[in-house]
Amino acid sequence: MTFPQGPVTWALVVVALVAVGAVLRARATNVKLRRHHAELRQERDALLHQRDELHVVHNGLLQRQSTELAEVRKDAEEETKAVLKAAVRTLQGLADEQQVVIEKAQRKYGDDPGILADLMAMDHANSQFGRRAQGIAVLCGGWLGRRETVASVFDVARSAQGRIRHFDRVRVNGQVNFSVVSRAVEPVAVVLAELLANATNYSAPGTPVEINIQAVPTGVCLIVDDAGLGMGQEEKDRAAALLSPQAAISVSSLGIPPQFGFAVSGMLAARYGFRVSVDSVSPYGGVRAVVLIPDELLTTEAPPAAPAEAPETALPQTPQVQPVRQPEQWQAPAPAPTPLFPPAQQPDTATQPLAQITTTAGGLPKRRRKSPVSAVPSAEPEPVRSNEETASRLGAFQRGTRSGRDTTTTEGTEFQ
Amino acid sequence: MTAPGEEQQVSSGFVRSYVITGGRGLPDADDLSLVTLVTLAPDRQPPPSASPEVRAIWELCSGGYLSVAEVAGHLGLPVGVARLLLQDLNQQGHLLRRKAPPPAQLVDRKILEEVLHGLQVRFG
Repeated sequence: MTFPQGPVTWALVVVALVAVGAVLRARATNVKLRRHHAELRQERDALLHQRDELHVVHNGLLQRQSTELAEVRKDAEEETKAVLKAAVRTLQGLADEQQVVIEKAQRKYGDDPGILADLMAMDHANSQFGRRAQGIAVLCGGWLGRRETVASVFDVARSAQGRIRHFDRVRVNGQVNFSVVSRAVEPVAVVLAELLANATNYSAPGTPVEINIQAVPTGVCLIVDDAGLGMGQEEKDRAAALLSPQAAISVSSLGIPPQFGFAVSGMLAARYGFRVSVDSVSPYGGVRAVVLIPDELLTTEAPPAAPAEAPETALPQTPQVQPVRQPEQWQAPAPAPTPLFPPAQQPDTATQPLAQITTTAGGLPKRRRKSPVSAVPSAEPEPVRSNEETASRLGAFQRGTRSGRDTTTTEGTEFQ
Repeated sequence: MTAPGEEQQVSSGFVRSYVITGGRGLPDADDLSLVTLVTLAPDRQPPPSASPEVRAIWELCSGGYLSVAEVAGHLGLPVGVARLLLQDLNQQGHLLRRKAPPPAQLVDRKILEEVLHGLQVRFG
């Protein structure tokens, strides 16, 4: 073997050696890098796994949070409702109490048109207040208050009319011979009042709002027509959703100022089983709202007649009215009651407006026996004679008439 | 939710008086005083659109003369409201009215009693 010759060869050898060294180093680096890569990959996988785990945990937490939030919200809503309900219950009671007081005052001072007009204004404000309180009570799951007696459909409509601000724009047409059963009287009246309030608020001032009462095969319809602008599709959808509630309505979702007319109507309709819809157009271009009272909530029982408990309060001026007497009645100063003549028989003597008033079973006026009507209203003077004296005088009179009759008898025989 | 049994009783009147008047102004008390007597003119039929209150007045007054105060009492309405309804009927010509009878002349009971006693002393 010969040694390589010349510098070129030596250079090549050196280059080759260097190359081999480089290759070896590169290889070592490569191996190192691969190892590193594998490690990183492993680490990444672990991290990914961890991430997924965290994701799951996160989702779980989110879910828990949302359910807890919903629960807390529900609890808060329920608590708010409970507090509101209790508070409003008091207000409802007070409104009703005040209404009764105002009614009494109206009967008491009804003769003075000025006072009566003021009392009516108070009554009107109080009725609206009562309706508001009832609305809040219903939204909070409370009750309206129950009436004892049935009421005619016409009166239910008029009662609803009295609970809104612009009641004078409302006309009630049509009377049917049906009454609403007592438990549904207030709910129907409140729903109708809410519909009337919407109708009057969303139509031009001064335009009429009509209630038409119509008997239909399945019950009785109360149709409320206004001459407003009507509702857009979005509003109609919202109304329809509120009128057929799937779930309890949240008090806070009703906006400020709260618009709870439809919500109240929907809840009451669902609870008592009548139907409310507002999706048609009235002949005047506005909204037509329809309340359908089914046969189950109707009765043919007539509503009771007006309570005739008023007289003593209704006629506060009775003492001032000069009592009038018939001349022949004067001779009866004894405390024995003098009967009054019924007006139908002797209208001329029906001059006693102060008679206690009751009615017969048929509702016709019945006059009661009354204490003597005297032209001398002053206190009875002390009797001039004692009772014994009067008795002895009466006895004398009796003896006198007897002796008179005896005389006649004897005289009679003389004539014979 | 409250049980139905817990429901409070509503005791106020159902149809408000201002609805019955339709929010109209009330007539003066002088027009139909408390003791003015009213009755229905003969052979009248109530208009078909008459409100229940008007029908009740119709039934009440068809029997003979009743005072305005009595009509209001029977209906359980404030006098002013009954007066307005009666005034409507009056304007429609359905009503006959009579002024309240004049108050009787008050006689001094003392004088009469003295006369009576005098007579009794003289002849009794």
